[in-house]
Amino acid sequence: MTISRKCVPFTPFDRELSKSTIAIVTAGGVHLKNQEGFNIADELGDLTYREIPPDVDSSELMVTHHHYDHTDADQDINVVFPIDVLRDLQTEGFIGDIARKHIGYMGYTMQLKAMYEGTAPQIANEIDKGSRADAVILTGG
Amino acid sequence: MAVQREIEMKGIPTVLITVSPEVSAQMRPPRALYPKGFKIGNSVGRPGMRDLQKQVLRDALGLLTQNTRPGDFITTEYPDYGEQYEPPRVKKL
Repeated sequence: MTISRKCVPFTPFDRELSKSTIAIVTAGGVHLKNQEGFNIADELGDLTYREIPPDVDSSELMVTHHHYDHTDADQDINVVFPIDVLRDLQTEGFIGDIARKHIGYMGYTMQLKAMYEGTAPQIANEIDKGSRADAVILTGG
Repeated sequence: MAVQREIEMKGIPTVLITVSPEVSAQMRPPRALYPKGFKIGNSVGRPGMRDLQKQVLRDALGLLTQNTRPGDFITTEYPDYGEQYEPPRVKKL
């Protein structure tokens, strides 16, 4: 079924935030330092994504992206991947838990069809099958 | 954001934090927060400003429990952020 661009998909949230598990998905090119970086030499844009575990130390994360100034993210990854912020919110009881899996990818691509038909559904699948998230926060760069 | 729509269609509610609302609007996000004046690269705030970042996250997550109209952008202001930036404009045809 093709979905019109005018249509806005919507899943109601019927839970309490304080009992909910939250995942982060960022298009800001975030990945672990020991993972392969995104390919910024590819002019068409890298269509791959990285899985980020929940217990990651923010110092183990970095940004590879050539379409936004990520100086601030290099200093404090939370400005695009708010993992420590989520931990603080969990400690204060605002959210219940942090998801088992988070995703970083490069939002920039010239290959729109491959993104819509490949990467986007793949990321959704990872979140659906592997994260146990009740809701997802998305950030760009 | 095709990714956001795909996740929502899996039955998992989503909220986007965007500093380019006109660009993001083209992808009709189910829920979106625009922290006014934040620059590209600062979705959640400035480096090290943890209290500000926490408030942005609380406001974004808060959209899940509010009765927002799908596709609407909620603009929030954070005086502590400081210098304001203009978001990229999209030419209306």
